[in-house]
Amino acid sequence: MASNDTSSTVTVKMGGRLGGKDLINIGIFTAIYFVVVFAVACLGFVPVLMAAICGIIPLVAGIPYMLFLTRVRKFGMITILGLLTGIIMFITGMGYFSIATGLICGLAADLIWKSGGYASASRAILSHGAFSCWIIGNFLPFLITADTYLPTVRAQYGDAYVDELMTYLQPEMYPVLLIACFVTGIIGGFIGRAILKKHFKRAGIA
Amino acid sequence: MEFFQSGAGERTVRLDPRTKIVLLFAVSTVLLLGGNGLVMFAVRTAMLLFPFALLAVSGRVRAAALMLTTYLGTYVLAVFAAPMLTGTANAIIVATATVVSRFVPTLALAYFVFATTTVSEFMAAMARMHMPDWITIPLSVLFRFFPTLGEEARSISAAMRMRGISPLKNGAAYIEYALVPLMSCAVSIGEDLSAAALARGLGGPMKRTNVCAIGFGALDIVVIAVSAAATAALAGSLAFPGAVA
Repeated sequence: MASNDTSSTVTVKMGGRLGGKDLINIGIFTAIYFVVVFAVACLGFVPVLMAAICGIIPLVAGIPYMLFLTRVRKFGMITILGLLTGIIMFITGMGYFSIATGLICGLAADLIWKSGGYASASRAILSHGAFSCWIIGNFLPFLITADTYLPTVRAQYGDAYVDELMTYLQPEMYPVLLIACFVTGIIGGFIGRAILKKHFKRAGIA
Repeated sequence: MEFFQSGAGERTVRLDPRTKIVLLFAVSTVLLLGGNGLVMFAVRTAMLLFPFALLAVSGRVRAAALMLTTYLGTYVLAVFAAPMLTGTANAIIVATATVVSRFVPTLALAYFVFATTTVSEFMAAMARMHMPDWITIPLSVLFRFFPTLGEEARSISAAMRMRGISPLKNGAAYIEYALVPLMSCAVSIGEDLSAAALARGLGGPMKRTNVCAIGFGALDIVVIAVSAAATAALAGSLAFPGAVA
């Protein structure tokens, strides 16, 4: 497919320019990625699992991510994926912070994937680890806007709920959550690779 | 696969896509940050009822009523169940109700925005805002793609049911059984979409033209004014916590 006959406004610093087909691929994989994240995040309705979804999302999300990487041969595609994921998180009411974390983690993942020459298997897995760290953005409203946010929740829903929630979301828990995201991101990368080998390589779409 | 021309159906309210973006920002901000005191409670209530009203006015009365009932039900449950239950039961019920009641208004608004905006209008509005292609194209593909993906997912889960495969019986393997065909479908639909879009001149060197008439009307001004007022009230109550108690 002609992927280099791109529009004139797109400029990417390194590598080739992003063509129409690349941009459409980003949209499609963002949709799949978001559906997976959303389905897993529904487990977060149970408060005990609320913090645990940090570790569960990357395990499943590694599958679409790894398939996405087989389409990524240019710099910037993972960054846009992260940015768009953050924007949808914002639209569905998870706060602004996911936009920033999506952008930062997407950029980091992009750099890692680029450093492997867009082909290295270990870099792909590492890249998913870095990318998965964006999930922390969903929890940042509790930390950064806690002063304004929590009294509202407390007044509406009682102390028991807030106390239950805050036992998992203490400030010192955030580094732990971040590491959990990264580690399960790596594991999710391995799972994604295994699924890719088992199904998509054979079907000729990986 | 319709990409640039999608029927948004009958419309009784015609809002500019840019107005909808402003509204999305205002509602998300007000509902997320909340604020305290009587004034902010009124503002918050107004902002979270707004999406349901828009949805009803745009002709989706049943969806609006359903979502509003869900919202009120979970809200009442959270408020009245909280003092009566203790321990784990309290935490689980209240948390579920809280999460649902927190997300239903934004989901209602998101539904309204998607149901009443065509991809063409969206792209025209983004072009007016001088948004670059690398954000406009993936976003419009994304929004057009969700319904398709939902359709495929329904068919796949029906097929799995027919073969006796369920999340309860197969556990984590179900994820593989459901996700792999979903992704295969998505990839092949994506190929079609790319071909169709390129044939329609997407990614060409020329500036795209658009026949969609977008622009701000009286209703847009009202919606933007309400959004601005609510955001200003929130900012005021955060900056001077004592003033509007």
